[in-house]
Parts: sequence; structure tokens; C-alpha cells
Amino acid sequence: MATEDRHGHSHHEHAHHEHGVEGPGYATPQAAIEESTPEKLAYVAALYTGTDVDASDFVAVVDVDPGSPTYREIVDRIEMPTRGDELHHFGWNACSSSCHVEGLERQYLVIPGNRSSRIHVVDTSDRRHPELVKVIEPEEVHEQDLSGPHTVHCAPGREIMISMLGNADGELPGGFLVLDDDFEIEGRWDAPGEIEFNYDFWYQPRRDVMVSSEWAAPATYQPGFDLEDVEAGKYGHSLHFWNWGDRTVEQTIDLGEEGMIPLEVRFMHNPEVAHGYVNAALSSNIFHFWREDGEYHAEKVIDFEGRDLEGWDMPVPALPTDILLSMDDRYLFGANWLHGEVWMYDVSDPANPRESDSISIGGYFGEIQAVQDRELISGPQMIQLSLDGKRLYWTTSLYSTWDDQFFPEEGERGSVMLKADVDPRRGTMTLDEEFLVDFGNLPDGPARAHEIRWPDGDCTSDVWQ
Amino acid sequence: MSGSEATTREVTLTWRDGRRETVRATEAQTILEAAEARAVGLPFGCRTGACATCTGRVADGRVTHDREPRALKPRHLERGYVLCCIARPRTDCRIEVGADVRTAMVSNPWK
Repeated sequence: MATEDRHGHSHHEHAHHEHGVEGPGYATPQAAIEESTPEKLAYVAALYTGTDVDASDFVAVVDVDPGSPTYREIVDRIEMPTRGDELHHFGWNACSSSCHVEGLERQYLVIPGNRSSRIHVVDTSDRRHPELVKVIEPEEVHEQDLSGPHTVHCAPGREIMISMLGNADGELPGGFLVLDDDFEIEGRWDAPGEIEFNYDFWYQPRRDVMVSSEWAAPATYQPGFDLEDVEAGKYGHSLHFWNWGDRTVEQTIDLGEEGMIPLEVRFMHNPEVAHGYVNAALSSNIFHFWREDGEYHAEKVIDFEGRDLEGWDMPVPALPTDILLSMDDRYLFGANWLHGEVWMYDVSDPANPRESDSISIGGYFGEIQAVQDRELISGPQMIQLSLDGKRLYWTTSLYSTWDDQFFPEEGERGSVMLKADVDPRRGTMTLDEEFLVDFGNLPDGPARAHEIRWPDGDCTSDVWQ
Repeated sequence: MSGSEATTREVTLTWRDGRRETVRATEAQTILEAAEARAVGLPFGCRTGACATCTGRVADGRVTHDREPRALKPRHLERGYVLCCIARPRTDCRIEVGADVRTAMVSNPWK
């Protein structure tokens, strides 16, 4: 069936178009696996916000090329002009969904400050030494009655969309901000009031669908986590399925008590497939969602039990804070931040994930508590996988105020970046004990490390039309 | 006192490690702005009273917020916490600042 999006692209024709010559991405997820070369550099958000270190947050350029003399070193830093941003998630100006747009390259990183609402644009033409080229100041964002920028996705037609977690006052409702290809604010994507809570989102243009998840208002989560706020209904537990073209919510699924704080939403990369996953961080569950009989459904498919810790009043929840799908959609990876576990499930049968392997590391219960004698003072958190599915990397900071509550030493000693070698054929992971990037011994002081991106596309940002 | 002198307040900032700085705040300045004007670095984030990164605690004196301090709950306000980004001193005052202040304001709910 041929359908047209609002830019007039025929999705049907697009699927059969000759790809691979022009444009910023890969023709298909399989092409990304086969044609990509191993990642040589990683861009990693690194933070000083919320500490007494008098320095700005920055993006670290980390050498991940084993053949390089500076392997495992931070080879450059793109410093933000202002302190206090809390760099969190960031994204590309273009991905494989933009492959029809002439002259567009996957060149610019759009890097918001979640606390400041300041939006930075970094030109990565020189992959090893990117350059800050533009800053959108918070006042411009507030004029749209939005704050708390979170997920950045490029959208077909050169636009860039950013989920915004709050209104100008840091309260509800959130919404979506659109930038044009000059990185000027174009306006809001949604009509205010379609949703209250916002967090992450993922779109599938071929199905004309976008899914968004729910954290809380900035004024709720930014000061720190308070169970009273959960009891008061200030944290979300729903998924919203949007008509991508009409920009309206077509369906909301309340995940209920077992679906508290649904964070990362990942549609499968194959644009023909209407399956995806979301991690309900607070209730320690992974939900599968899929389309059937004209509507979306969601069902809990993985459940991580709480664990008792001596001296604690209540069982400690796993807090699965990040998930991702391998580019071939076969494996779902995730990190249980509090328990200290990196896991992979085989999702060949999407409704029935089968545990494949895990590494028990860091957190409160991890079997491995040091790498190269560097003590792990936090659990695994943001994860990123190589396009070929063979190398999984992770960092250990969640959010400065939440780190301070659950792993107070993370701020004092800084994060680490670690890696596991993945065997996709056998479904196993092995910790690479030779790989360690220590963000604890930097000139300005220990930094927290958060999201990881590859210059040539990520398992968490690339979308296909 | 007369003129602009009458409208400035002396704000003593103290850190838990013993450091101490005194800055003068004009009527036009919040505590954060007064500190910045003297190149004294305080933690901050949203600068609109929503995120609590700049939380301080009044040890002495009187401070009022420009707008509702959304990041603070009634129990925090009762205990003297203030948001330096939107708070103005109304008298000379002494305020405990630094990242430790906010950290101590919230606790691990499972512990």
C-alpha cells in the first residue's frame, strides 16, 4: 500500500528506491549492519551540573579504535558555553529516514541541556574535533511554553523534533519542539494539551505512527526522586500512540501499576514491523507493544524482581533505565542501574523474549565491582551498541540529582565507560576488561558520563522510512 | 544610608567545607546573580525555580522568592531552603550554599 506523508514522499516508492549513494544514512537496517565500519569515535555527554566544580558540561570525544595510539582516551572535549545545562540525551540532524533529502548529511549533533533548556548545535564535520556552531537560548524555548528538552530525533523533511518534558514553568504539560534545518525554532509540533507527561519518542513514518512515553514534570524529577510524588500521581505510566501526519494522539495505553515511569521507547528498526519495547523503570518491567486488529496493545514481557539489601527498608527495585534493540532487531539489551546488571534477551519472537545472557557488574549487587582496579561506584546505565551488534558500551550516570540519591559517590569520583564484546550468533556477552574510560580523573574534576552516540548512526537513533 | 547603598544587602555565602564568601546584592540581583557578579561559582540549572540545582539554606536573615519556588515542597521551605536563582535577600543574610545542600535535602527512599 502506498501512503503519502505530509512531505509528499511516497513510502511505497521509497522502499524500492536506490539507496546507498546519496544522503546521510543506510538504505536498510541490514545495510547499516553490513556496510558500516566499526566505530572509531564515540561522543559521550559528560556533566558538571549539580556539583561544585566550576565548569560547563561537555561532550567527550572518546577514541574507541583499538588500532589507535589514543585508544580509550578522551581525545577532545566540546565544552558548552554556559554552566548548569545537565546535558542528557542528544541526537543527529539527519538519519536514515532523511535519505531522500539532497545535500543533507549526518553532520550536526543537537545537544539540549535538560535543566537549562538551552539547545546546542555541534558540527561534527571534523569527526575528531567537532565544533559548537549555534546555541538556542532558554528564553526562546520558553516562548513556546516548553522546557526540559529530552529526546532529539531528526524527522523527514529536514526538521528536528525534540520532546519537551514541561511547560515554561517546568510544570505540565510537556510537548514537542520543532527546529528547522537552520536550527531555528519553527514552533511546536503538537497542539498543547494532547498529552500531559512526556519523555522519549520514536516514529515509524511508513506506518504513520509515533509513540511517546512518560517521566514527570521537570519540577518533579529534577530536584530528585520522592516516593510521595509517585503516590501523588506525579509520575507517568502511559504510552501514547500518535498519528504522525495529523500530530494527534490516536490511542493511549495506561500500563498501570506495573508500568510506572515508562522511559525509553524503541520501535524495531525494520520499518515493516509494528513491534516495540518500553522499559517501565520504577516498576522494573519491560513491556512489548505491537499493532494488531487496527490498534496498539502492550503487555509486560520481562519482570525483574526486587532484591533485599541489608539495612534497607524495602526491596531494591532493579530500575531498568535504558534499553535498545540491535540493528537486526534480534536482541533487546538493557541495564538495571540499581541492581547492577547488563542484560540481553533474544526477541526473535517479539512477544516472548528469551534471556540470552547478562553481566553482573556495579550497582548494589553486581558480582564485578572493579575494572582495572577502578572501583565501580554506580550501576550500568546508558547503553549503546555497535551497528554490527558486536560491541556494547555503557556509562554509569543517570541524572545528577538521582545519582546523588542512589550512588552518591558517582558525583565525587565520576563515571566510567565500559564495554562488552557480544557474540550475536551465540547470544553471549563478555566483559572487555581491557576497556575502561575513566571520567573521574579529568583536569576540571570528576565528570558524570551519560549518553553515547556514534558518528555514523546509532541503534538508538536511526529510523527508516 | 542613602541612594543605591540603601538597597544593597550583604550576603555571606558559606560552604560545608568551611569556605566563606561575602557578596553584595543590589535590589536588582538574585543571590545567584550577586554571586556571579563577584565571580563566585554557585551550582545552578534552570534559573526559573523548577530544578533545585541552586538550592541554598538560610542560616540568618530574610529572603523572598521572585516567584513560586516550584522545586521546593512546603517541608523544604519550612526548613529554610531557598532557590538562589530566584531568591532576593531582604536583609543582610547568611546562606549555606554548594551542591551538598541540595543533596542533603532529598534522601534515598528505599534506604
